[in-house]
Amino acid sequence: MRRIVMNFLMLTMILFCQSCEEPYIPSTLESQQEYVVEGYIEAGDSQLPPYVILTRSIPYISTIDPEQFANFFVHGAKVKVDDGSKVVQLTELCLNDLPDALKDQVYEVLGFNPDSTTANICVYADILGQIIREEGRTYHLNIHAGDDLITSVTTIPHGVGFNGFEWVDPPGVPRDTLAQLNAYITDPAGVANYYRLFTATGKNRSFVASPFGSVTDDVLAEGETFLIPIQRNQRRGTEFNPETFGLFERGDSAFVKLCTIDKAHFDFWNTRDFAARNSGPFSSYTRITSNINGGLGIWGGYAVRIHRLYCPPK
Amino acid sequence: MRWIGRLSILVFFVIFSLAVNGQNNYTLSGYIKDKATGETLIGAIVTTMDGEKYAATTNTYGFYSLTLPEGTYHFGFSYLGYDHQYFEIKLVKNTQFNVEMTEGMMMQEVVISSNKEDGRNNVEGTQMGTVTLPVENIKKLPAIFGEVDVLKSIQLLPGVLSSGEGSSGFYVRGGGPDQNLVLLDEALVYNSGHMLGFFSVFNADALKNTTLIKGGMPANFGGRLSSVLDIQMKEGNDQKYTVEGGIGLISSRLTVQGPIVRDKSSFILSGRRTYVLDLIQPALKGSNFEGTNYYFYDLNAKWNYTFSDKNRLYFSGYFGNDILKFRQPNRDLGFDLPYGNKTATLRWNHLFNHKMFMNVSAVYNDYKFTFEGYQEKLRFKLFSGVKDWNFKADFENYFSTNHTFRYGVNYTYHTLTPNTASANNGEVEFNTAFKPKYANEAAVYILDDMKFGSRWALNTGLRLSMFQQVGPYTSKLDSTVYGTLSPVKTYTGIEPRMSLNYIVNRNLSLKAGITVTNQYLHLVSNSSSTLPADIWVPSSEKIRPQRGIQYALGIFRNFGQDEYEASVEVYYKDLKNQLDYADNYVDNLSQEVEDAFVSGVGRAYGVEFFLKKSRGKLNGWVGYTLSKSERSFAAIEKGRWYPAVYDRPHDISVVVNYKITPKWDLGAVFIYGSGKLFTPVRGFFFIDQNINLFYGPRNSARLDDYHRLDLSATYTPNPESKRKIFRQLDFLCVQCI
Repeated sequence: MRRIVMNFLMLTMILFCQSCEEPYIPSTLESQQEYVVEGYIEAGDSQLPPYVILTRSIPYISTIDPEQFANFFVHGAKVKVDDGSKVVQLTELCLNDLPDALKDQVYEVLGFNPDSTTANICVYADILGQIIREEGRTYHLNIHAGDDLITSVTTIPHGVGFNGFEWVDPPGVPRDTLAQLNAYITDPAGVANYYRLFTATGKNRSFVASPFGSVTDDVLAEGETFLIPIQRNQRRGTEFNPETFGLFERGDSAFVKLCTIDKAHFDFWNTRDFAARNSGPFSSYTRITSNINGGLGIWGGYAVRIHRLYCPPK
Repeated sequence: MRWIGRLSILVFFVIFSLAVNGQNNYTLSGYIKDKATGETLIGAIVTTMDGEKYAATTNTYGFYSLTLPEGTYHFGFSYLGYDHQYFEIKLVKNTQFNVEMTEGMMMQEVVISSNKEDGRNNVEGTQMGTVTLPVENIKKLPAIFGEVDVLKSIQLLPGVLSSGEGSSGFYVRGGGPDQNLVLLDEALVYNSGHMLGFFSVFNADALKNTTLIKGGMPANFGGRLSSVLDIQMKEGNDQKYTVEGGIGLISSRLTVQGPIVRDKSSFILSGRRTYVLDLIQPALKGSNFEGTNYYFYDLNAKWNYTFSDKNRLYFSGYFGNDILKFRQPNRDLGFDLPYGNKTATLRWNHLFNHKMFMNVSAVYNDYKFTFEGYQEKLRFKLFSGVKDWNFKADFENYFSTNHTFRYGVNYTYHTLTPNTASANNGEVEFNTAFKPKYANEAAVYILDDMKFGSRWALNTGLRLSMFQQVGPYTSKLDSTVYGTLSPVKTYTGIEPRMSLNYIVNRNLSLKAGITVTNQYLHLVSNSSSTLPADIWVPSSEKIRPQRGIQYALGIFRNFGQDEYEASVEVYYKDLKNQLDYADNYVDNLSQEVEDAFVSGVGRAYGVEFFLKKSRGKLNGWVGYTLSKSERSFAAIEKGRWYPAVYDRPHDISVVVNYKITPKWDLGAVFIYGSGKLFTPVRGFFFIDQNINLFYGPRNSARLDDYHRLDLSATYTPNPESKRKIFRQLDFLCVQCI
């Protein structure tokens, strides 16, 4: 918060201050690529099978185009998940190999925009549903990519849902077509809880998390019932309008997905979100905390509660 | 370390035994003042003009004391920019002799010191790494937006680096910005920057003198590892009323001073305020940003009363704030962000006799940072701050011309409020429940300055410091509840200080020094520069005090009848319990900053070259520093030594003043330095379709070297007139990369 305040203050100062420093290009580093894991396993209200996207990092000094992006997917890896009772090898699935109808569904689930995605996205997924997905269970991930071994572990905690919701008029100038959503939650006492929040609307059914602050812990509200203002999150690449940002359209459906996550999973998003918002003239760098051994990224468990709502017209 | 303590004790034993002397010796003492304004003069010099040379300088309060064998002497009194005065005095008893000096035309061409006697200190004084900059001379340097800035001026000295372009923050000899003790009339200034540090909080019109001690910190100072910046305010003209003002691009300022009771009491009031965004308020009216504004202001005030030759009382204060208001009426959104310092100092000077001077001070300071935001019913508040009550007593004994002994005590009660945050939406309220931390800090010191024969001089000191975290407090380690003022954790420090001067000949001396310091309050910034929102954190059950040992060696040489002063100083600093944030630190309101700190060690070393020309139409200085500063933290880079963010191997400053005619002065400042370090991006990766960066080793890349040239021209229409009007044109950043 302090950093946001200071960055804003800095922008104000820029109105009448000029710096003499020229822009710079950081010195080129030896670009050794790292494995990047993005994998999730959900339990609760979710129907989504466990999946892992395995890519490589991109050197800082390089240009990116869809073709190049496609080459960063790591193919042919042995990706295995141990749910405590058995080990399941995930199946590699590339979207270009799927029928169009199924492809669109997968795009929606993964949150990709089919119109702007030309790369052949590949995932490793438990397509047969062999893995037991339940809250309180721990899942080990083992990936053999060539001679390299990548490991991780995550837990799906016990899930927590919202108690209730309220639609209120947006603050400031009256706007009859928009509403703000507030939710009430009771944090379980005696245990550290970590949450990640997604929203979707009837017009855009894929769940989106805020890129600048998608997680929270319960340090300030341990065991309390409290109110959270819920912002409608925007998909990447859609037009940002500061007048309507975060507000829901009256007459539309709204979906809220609350995920309870473990500490390592929280640390990843907490550092990632902070790194994303902590970019300004006074900022220093933030290393994203990863639970992946042998690479970057996240292997995260979600205890999912999905709330389907309708924003009534005024 | 043990040998240092033993050696100190031995030295003090010798000193005390030597202190008992002085048969048929008498003392000449008094105050030296400016005749026109009544301001006491700091660092004025009294010398005997015939026979064996004896000399003394005035202290911070303008007092001098010179003990000599009975006899008749010709005394010379000198001070930079003032006409010398000579008196014949028959010293057959202890004599008080106050001197009023008249400002001479010489001042117009002086940069740092004006007369030969000042230059002698370079060779003969025991102090190392100490520079005094009278504010009148700082005013002749090019100034950004016309705002004369003492903090930017000291950055032109070797060993001192700017924390960023245009910033008033500074690093000294590889130390962090929190390791500088910044004092205004003895009051500690916790945040010395306005406008995110672009301007310092020090209004030059209200200031008299600035002294920077970057090595060999005397024992009367403590609590910081790197440097002392000791700034004194003017006392106010006790002869007549004067008004001084200036209209700048950014701010305007006004100073009023005058006598309350002539020769006995005077006051000074000096204020500044910015107004750039005030001027655009009409344009914002009716817009989505109506009511948005930013300004800063400060007010310096001082009053003094001379009860008698032996008693004088001073009361001074500083009050300054930065105010940012953001408003977006159509979303019912806004915030206020005020932050600033308040200080107040009450001082009593007392002369017990001609050889013993005392100053007792009570000091209050208060730094607050507040952020209050709202959107409709939702209210959010963030607050942090430091408040101190400080009492100190300092005694100076002038045993003889060759021997001065000082001692004192110092006590401070600290209240440090961490980043407390609260929010409510009219029904539900949250707060971080972080409680302020309280602490006692105390120190006693002795300090001895002694000359042995004509070649050796020794300055020895010992400071014993104590810091005690006290309740109310609940332990984070074992949940013990401590009541008000109950000790939670106590730290003590033995801090020996020593510097030795060997005078090879009249123009050459060799000096060596060792300084041990403890620091009990800490500030760690997660930014590339310090910000007003950064939080001061006390030593506690979780945070150990920082400790530093500095070793220094120097060669000091004067040329051309002391017109040129040169020095080469080498230093090495060993730093313990340094603090920083880990690489994955997140500025999280639910976490106290002390819980996010990691601890490590540091080292800094370098060599500083300094050449100064003090007199003549062309004067100025050249400084070059070659240095290195490194840190090692188990939690950062797995303990590998890496360069500190304060590391800039090369730093060159050239400062030139040239008086073309009595009406025209030209000034030039050229800076060349290594670029700042940064942690480079190694590459990026995609998660959740967002680009994420990952980084190489900490501070493993450096920006290009930096250089800039600033020029100024000052026109004084009528230099002889008492009504002085300066027109200063500054051409800043004529060349900058």
